Amino acid sequence: MPYKKLHIEIIDRVGSILMQSGSRFNKLSITTLRELKRAFGELEADPAVTVIVLSGYPGESFAVGADIAQMRDFGPAEGFAFAELGQSLFAQMEECGKPIIGALNGITMGGGCDLALACDIRLGSDALLFAHPGAKLGIITGFCGTQKLPRLVGKNFAREIFMTSDPYTAADGLRMGFINRLFPAASFWDDVVAFAGRIAAHPVEPLLYGKKIINASEDVELKSGCVMELGAFSSLFATEARAEKMQSFLNRKKNHGTR
Amino acid sequence: MTRAVQVQHEGDIALVRLNRPEAANCLSGAMIQSLLETFRKLKDDREVKGVIITGGGKFFCAGGDIGEMAAMSPMAAVEFAELGQKLMFAIERVGKPVLAVVNGHALGGGLELALACDFIVASTAAFFAAPEIKLGIIPGFGGTQRLARLVGKAKAKELIFTGDSINAAEAHAIGLVNRVYEPDQLLAQALELMQTICSRGPLSLRMGKEIIDAGYDIDLANACLMERDAFALCFSTEDQKEGMGAFLEKRPARFPGR
Repeated sequence: MPYKKLHIEIIDRVGSILMQSGSRFNKLSITTLRELKRAFGELEADPAVTVIVLSGYPGESFAVGADIAQMRDFGPAEGFAFAELGQSLFAQMEECGKPIIGALNGITMGGGCDLALACDIRLGSDALLFAHPGAKLGIITGFCGTQKLPRLVGKNFAREIFMTSDPYTAADGLRMGFINRLFPAASFWDDVVAFAGRIAAHPVEPLLYGKKIINASEDVELKSGCVMELGAFSSLFATEARAEKMQSFLNRKKNHGTR
Repeated sequence: MTRAVQVQHEGDIALVRLNRPEAANCLSGAMIQSLLETFRKLKDDREVKGVIITGGGKFFCAGGDIGEMAAMSPMAAVEFAELGQKLMFAIERVGKPVLAVVNGHALGGGLELALACDFIVASTAAFFAAPEIKLGIIPGFGGTQRLARLVGKAKAKELIFTGDSINAAEAHAIGLVNRVYEPDQLLAQALELMQTICSRGPLSLRMGKEIIDAGYDIDLANACLMERDAFALCFSTEDQKEGMGAFLEKRPARFPGR
């Protein structure tokens, strides 16, 4: 079944989900959220994909929150169902066994900001503007942003972002640690693809274990986290990729030594 | 045969140097055992108030010995990672400040070794990486946990997913490294910094270290209760009397460490 709001591309082990709602902003309608759940499920299952990139490229926005005209008429039950749909998407992204890179090409606000927070790594274009403007509308986010933003940038910046409701620039994002890297708008997509390609060159198994175990670091104390790491580290010694990569490393070293 | 781990005493400071430059100071099983014994001794050595770890030669430490690891079964890998983790916990529980002085490449297990120290200072020639992913594995000496705790989950994932190295300036920008010095200044500056630290009361240094580490993993309210009790315990020491007495008498304190 074709997607109405998304465009999917798979090139050189990088699977890109490009949000294209057909308007200036990629509003996270119920349709878009459902399609995102389906797309992440398909790319996770696809053996041709090692890394997933989520973006609004080449449009002006990454994503904004819900359609406010639609949300205005929500009662508590509809608000609950909508927030639950969003949260289940974000939980799916966190559970997904492949790295997910958020390529923040432009406007990233409200629920769109929370969507970015559900990615493992965020890359920003210098056209990025991000905000959590819920306070201006008399609400707060219902997509886990109050929990995930402080875990990423610290409580101090998170409070500032929520309390001001102001838009912040890519440079602000880099300074606060909201984005990992800042790329020029002109070369943004090339830079994103090159970055994703470096991760896609690695075997899938350590990426899977690395993601799960780093995610756990937030929820367990150091000792338990290290015990979990023991299990993950040693399990990887059963993979063919590990044996092959180590052997080729040793061969390369030998060749360097005799040149 | 020269020892793989050299310990040199500079006043109150023990300077621990990884000394297998021909093997990039890699963490073979034997090297980890030597470090473990070194830190066991340092824990009980009352003359030593602070510890510096650095690398001899061009490398800080290139991590696990890949020649050793290549043929490991999963069960052998459990034992190897357990040994490495034991060392990292021994460094954290040595009871005195430990400074990683990263003179060159700190890769994989070498990065994890630096992460087990209280904080890191580096030369402008230093590079940091978690390249395990390129070998089909992940860090196994606590790196997935300590790196995420220090620089945040997203930066930790970037380093661990790409396997790419970052230079000292980048490491400083993300908070992995506290201070950066020119290579010829590095050791002298690090010793000076550690001397300043060692001039403080050893008992309060130990309590500060342990309460920051322990409190990081538990909820704020209980961590603050632990702080309250550790704070109160300081008032049973001669160091507290000396520290406050010296302040009131406007003279430098000389902490007896009791």
